[in-house]
Amino acid sequence: MATAVMTTLDPKSGAASRGMSDIAIRNLFIIPTILFLIVFNIFPLIYSLGYSFTDFRASSPAAANFVGLQNYRELLNDPFIWSNFAITAKYVIVSVVGQVVVGFGVALLLNRTIPFKGLITTLLLLPMMLSMAVVGLFWKLLYDPSFGIINHVLGLGTFEWLSNPDMALYAVAITDIWMWSPFVMLLSLAGLSAVPKHLYEAAAIDRAGTLYTFFRITLPLVAPILMIAIIFRTMEAFKTFDLAYILTSQPTTEVISIRLYKMAFQEWQTGRSCALAYIVLIMILAITNIYVKYLNKVKER
Amino acid sequence: MTQIELRGVQKFFGAVQVIKDLNLRIEDNEFIVLLGQSGCGKTTTLRAIAGLETIDEGDILIDGQAVQHLKCSDRDIAMVFQSFSLYPHMTVYENIAFPLRATRMNRADTDSAVREVAKVLRITELLDRRPSALSGGDMQRVAIGRALVRRPKAMLMDEPIGALDAKLREEMRAEIKRLHIKQGSTTIYVTHDQIEAMSLADRIVIMHEGVLQQVGSPEEVYAHPANLFVAQFVGSPVMNIASATVAEEKGKAAVTVEGAPQGFAFPQQLLGSLNGSAGRKLSLGVRPEGLVVAHEAADGFLPAEAHIIEPLGSYDIVDLKFGEQMLRARTRSGFVAKPGDRVFARIDPAQAHFFDTESGQSLGVRL
Repeated sequence: MATAVMTTLDPKSGAASRGMSDIAIRNLFIIPTILFLIVFNIFPLIYSLGYSFTDFRASSPAAANFVGLQNYRELLNDPFIWSNFAITAKYVIVSVVGQVVVGFGVALLLNRTIPFKGLITTLLLLPMMLSMAVVGLFWKLLYDPSFGIINHVLGLGTFEWLSNPDMALYAVAITDIWMWSPFVMLLSLAGLSAVPKHLYEAAAIDRAGTLYTFFRITLPLVAPILMIAIIFRTMEAFKTFDLAYILTSQPTTEVISIRLYKMAFQEWQTGRSCALAYIVLIMILAITNIYVKYLNKVKER
Repeated sequence: MTQIELRGVQKFFGAVQVIKDLNLRIEDNEFIVLLGQSGCGKTTTLRAIAGLETIDEGDILIDGQAVQHLKCSDRDIAMVFQSFSLYPHMTVYENIAFPLRATRMNRADTDSAVREVAKVLRITELLDRRPSALSGGDMQRVAIGRALVRRPKAMLMDEPIGALDAKLREEMRAEIKRLHIKQGSTTIYVTHDQIEAMSLADRIVIMHEGVLQQVGSPEEVYAHPANLFVAQFVGSPVMNIASATVAEEKGKAAVTVEGAPQGFAFPQQLLGSLNGSAGRKLSLGVRPEGLVVAHEAADGFLPAEAHIIEPLGSYDIVDLKFGEQMLRARTRSGFVAKPGDRVFARIDPAQAHFFDTESGQSLGVRL
C-alpha cells in the first residue's frame, strides 16, 4: 500500500544521481521523525500510564508499589478535583464563546472591500504570534490596579482584576480572548470568503432580510470551518496553563492543568498526577469527538 | 399584470459605458429575450432590472413605478441564475420554500405552494435531496421552481440553460416554453444563443456593445434585420454579406457583388427603392437559403463553382464561388456532388437584404 501512495523519485534529481532509491529517501526522512515521536511522545505516554497505577513519587528513592485503580478512584471522588474541573469548564466556555463572538464578528466586518484590508488583517493577527508568557506578563501590567492602563481607560479607579477571586478567572479569559480571537477570525474569514457571492444575490432576490440571510445562508455555510476553529480553541483552553499561572494565583483560577502541575511537581505525587493526566486526556478526547461527529454531519452535504 | 419599462438607461463601469441610452417597453405576460454576444450589456441590463446593479442614469419602471432606487427585495422580481445558485446546505424542498419562509409565510401555505410548484416542474420525488445530488437539468428545474413559487411580478433568467449540455439544453428550452405558456408571467431571458432566442421569444431584443440594435418578433428579426450586426448575428449558418453595385440592365435591375463577373437579376422596382441611396456604398446580404441552386443554366442564373461542401444531414451548406466572391448556399443534401462542380445559382429577391455599408443600417428594401 505504501508504495502506491508514494510518488516516484525524479530520475534527474540529485538524490537519484547519488544512487538513492525511493525507499532510501523515505527512510531517510520518515524514520528519524518516527523515532523522535516514539522517544519523546509515545514512550512517556505509555510509561506514565504505567505510573498511574502506582504510588510512585519522583522525589523519593522508594520503589513504586502497584496500587491498581486506587489513584483513579481517589481522584474521581475528590471534591477539590471536581471543583478544578468546574473552574476549567467555566473558563473554557467563557473563553471559547468570547473568541468565537469576537473573532467571527471581526471577520464579518473584514469580509468586504475596505482599504488596507491586508494590512489590517495582518495587524489583527499579531496577538496570536506572541508568546503566552509574554502576553501573561504584559496583561499583568495592564490589569494592575494602581497604574494599569485598563483601569485608567475604563475609569475603574483601583478595581482589582487579578486579586479579586470572582473576577480573576474572567480576567484570564479576557486575555485569552484578546490573544486567540484572531485565530477564529482568520479561519472565519477564510470560510466567509468561500461563500459564493451569487448565493447572497439569490437570497436578496428571494427577499430575505439581512438577519435571515445571516442565519440561513452565511452561518450554515461557514459552520464547518468555524467548527474546526472551535475544536482547536476548546482543546487549547482545556489545557490552559501558562496564562492562568502567570497572571494570578487565586484558587478560583486553579484550572485543571495548574492542579496537575502542582500535584506533579510541588507535591511530587507522580503516580497520582499521571492518573489525573489520563483523566484529562480522556475528557479532551471525548469532547473533541463530539465536535468531530458534528463536524462530519455538517460536512456531509 | 406586470409591465416593465426602461427609459434612457445608462450604466458605466468606471470609464466603460456598458449600457447606452436603453429604451424598452415590456408588456404584460411577454417573453422577452435579450440577445447578444458576451459583454454586450445584456446581463448587466437584466441585473439592473433585478436590482443587483445600480444604473447611472434613466428610469426603470415596473407597473409605472420607478424602482431604480429600490432594493431588489422591494421589487418583487424573481431571478434564475446561470450558476443556478441553489443553497447547497438545504434540500430541494427548503430551497424552493426559502423565498416564502424568508417573508414569513405560514407553514401550511408554504407547504402547499412548494408541492404545487414541484408538481408543475415534475420534481416532487426530488424534494428531499440536496442540490449536490441532482443533475444539471434538475438543478435548473429547482432554480426555476424557487423563482416561480412566490408568483413574482416578473421572472428574470440569466442564461439559465447555458451551463447544460446540448441535448439537455434543448429539453429545458422546451420545458421553459411550456412553463411560460402554462404559468404566464412577464419574463426577461438573457442568452447569447440565437437559436434559444428564436425558439422562446415573443420579442427579441438584440444588443451590441451596450446599444440596442433591434427589437422585434423572431420572424421579424430574422426576415428583416435592422442592420449588418443583427443580420450576421441571427441565423445559422451566417448570412452572406458582400459589397454590391446595382445597375439597370435590359429593363431589370442587376446586382453585382464584388469580384463576380456578372450581376444577379432583380426586379425593376429595386432601382426605385434604392433611389434615395444613390452613390452610397451598398452591401448585399442574403441567407444561404436565399440562394437558389440548379444544375442547368437558366434565365437569371449565374454560373458558379462549388468550393467546400458541408453536409449537415438534413441539408448541405455549399460554398459557391462567383468569380472571386464566395457565397454560401443551402442545398438539398447531396445536391452538389463534389467540390469543383459547376452549378448555377440565383438570388431570391424576396430574401435579399440591402445595407448601407458605412452605417451598417438596413435600407429597408422589401421586394
